[in-house]
Amino acid sequence: MSRDRVSRRVFLKTAGAVAALGALPTVGRAQAKEVKLGYILPVTGPLAFEAQLSLNGLQLAVDEINAAGGVKALGGAKLTLSPGDTQQKVELGNSEAARLIDQGVTVLIGPFSSLVAFSVRQVTEKNKTPFMLLAAVADNLTEGGLRYVFRVQPNGKAMATVTMNNIAEMAKAANLPLKRVAMMHEDGNFGTTMGNHVEAFGGQLGYTVVQRIPYSIKSPDFTAELSKVKASKPDLLVISGYYGDSKIIAETAAKLRIGVNALVGLANAAYSNPKFITENRELTDQLFDGNYWHNPQSARARAVFEAYQKRFNSTMSNHGVQGYQVMFVLKDALERAASTDREKVRDAIAKTNLTDHILTQDAIHFDEAGESVNATPALLQVQGGKPVVVGPARFLEAKPVFPVAKWKG
Amino acid sequence: MTWLFLQAVVSGLLLGGVYGLVASGLSLIFGVLRIINFAHGAVMMLGMYASYWLFVLLGVDPYLSILVTGPLFFGIGVLIQRIVIEPNRDAAEHNQLLLTLGVALFFENLALVLWQGDFRTVRVWYSGASFLVADVLVEVPRLVAAGGAVLIALGLWGFLRTTDVGKAIRALSEEPEGARLVGVNVARIRGVAFGIGSACVAVAGALVTPFFYVAPDVGESFNIMAFVVVVLGGMGNFLGALMGGFIVGLAESLGAAFLPGSLKQLVVFGLFVVVLLLRPEGLFGTRRGR
Repeated sequence: MSRDRVSRRVFLKTAGAVAALGALPTVGRAQAKEVKLGYILPVTGPLAFEAQLSLNGLQLAVDEINAAGGVKALGGAKLTLSPGDTQQKVELGNSEAARLIDQGVTVLIGPFSSLVAFSVRQVTEKNKTPFMLLAAVADNLTEGGLRYVFRVQPNGKAMATVTMNNIAEMAKAANLPLKRVAMMHEDGNFGTTMGNHVEAFGGQLGYTVVQRIPYSIKSPDFTAELSKVKASKPDLLVISGYYGDSKIIAETAAKLRIGVNALVGLANAAYSNPKFITENRELTDQLFDGNYWHNPQSARARAVFEAYQKRFNSTMSNHGVQGYQVMFVLKDALERAASTDREKVRDAIAKTNLTDHILTQDAIHFDEAGESVNATPALLQVQGGKPVVVGPARFLEAKPVFPVAKWKG
Repeated sequence: MTWLFLQAVVSGLLLGGVYGLVASGLSLIFGVLRIINFAHGAVMMLGMYASYWLFVLLGVDPYLSILVTGPLFFGIGVLIQRIVIEPNRDAAEHNQLLLTLGVALFFENLALVLWQGDFRTVRVWYSGASFLVADVLVEVPRLVAAGGAVLIALGLWGFLRTTDVGKAIRALSEEPEGARLVGVNVARIRGVAFGIGSACVAVAGALVTPFFYVAPDVGESFNIMAFVVVVLGGMGNFLGALMGGFIVGLAESLGAAFLPGSLKQLVVFGLFVVVLLLRPEGLFGTRRGR
């Protein structure tokens, strides 16, 4: 697959160069400029698979933009991606960020992990380089009066509270008001953030967290934990975890006849992941996940999905959607800035008001801190082998199946 | 409450069997070579990939794949010992320790390059099989893994008791100088011990693939606990490692069922520290030099 991609890229570059050469004598313009955009992602290491999904989204958008004539305000300048690999390590994140900035990238995109992001944002701040967060969800990344950090996707708080709200509404509509919630989350920064929000938000929505179980993602067995959950008779089990742990938890919960109305992932790395669903059709049927997603009502989103499927031979995931959308936020900013100057691009990003997007939300614009004000996760449910949007109501793709009979004892 | 207790005991015992087999290999290697083998988890991971590929490419059942992976990883273990460990036998202990850590990193990154970071699963017809005994869930693949682990560990224990090679291994483990004096081929026996240890953990890997997943860093899930188990059972004590496996499995499972939050780790590692302080020779170890 990757070899195919390279050859395609080479082809596009060559084709672009030939076209530029051809245009040169007739138009008499200076050679086409380029806008260098740097990404830092854990393209090798434990998150290599997920990182590739983000990268696919970035690449898809870059090629679409370039094929449509590049950045018009810059005389049709083409976007190019400069790669950096963090291997999910803080030191590498810092050094790769510094290297790319040194090489003159206009913007830095990445780095997937909140931990790496927390450190890299000091590098971008010092070098006055716009930093578009990808996948990193921790709330504190935009705190501290930073000027150059922007996040298109919902942060941890929005992810957790909006998802719980969507579920509470769904439960109320089904006449099964949400009272007792069990929460299992991985014990790192991501899971703990989610757990804190779910617990804190209970008062407002009228539910109690009857079990909260942080766990190590390296744990080979969750039978005892899930038995404890079962014994506490919750209405709902919420899980914030990574791929392998989330898989084993769902499997064990099914075998234990866990007895809840639904199993809900919260920013879960597996439950709306096309690969996980394809490999576990029966298990994943009717699983919920609160996650950032594309708008199924948008014709543009559907076209993007088709293009992605054709090119990478797989369903576009939420990471792909984010990569794609971030690139178009940048394109929009570059058009308005009409410059590759980092400060001007930064100001243009800050003034973003983008309505033509593929997300489940209103216009994309940022607050002082760089958080996307309207960023909203969707509530997804796996139906017929793919995740469909079952909330919020205005983006509805299908009606939710709730309660889910198979999780009842 | 009784149900929760019984369920925790059952799942703890099932998990403990696998810990036991992983730790037996580690313990054997420590007993004979006096090195802490940090590459143990990585060898388990390679064993899991071997079973995975045998299943995907040739349709070999993971349990049957033991017949291939066992001997194969015995050979790989012997080679690791010959090529990497033996030449550095006289180096300082911490250097040997770093050496095995290097081997582990090498294998993990090799797996990343060859097979990427993807999580892979082996789906066999019995993967999801389970039954209830008085409402207590017993997962068939976990039961087979635990049972198989115990059988293999006991078989090896018998091998160590009765055969000449086994006796040489024990001799080398208990009294290296004496073993050399009575003519045990020390270098060869070291290789054999490392080979058996590696085969143990590769087989343990094959036994867990039907209910677990395969990824380059998967070995760590079992290996960290295996270190605790080895200390509990007494460094170099083969049967102690098996018993230690059950104790750690039970402690982890009961801790998860009855303590809040992630305190279950605290129980296991607390046990680890207490045993190190009070019985450094392990729960089942005998004091040396008496």
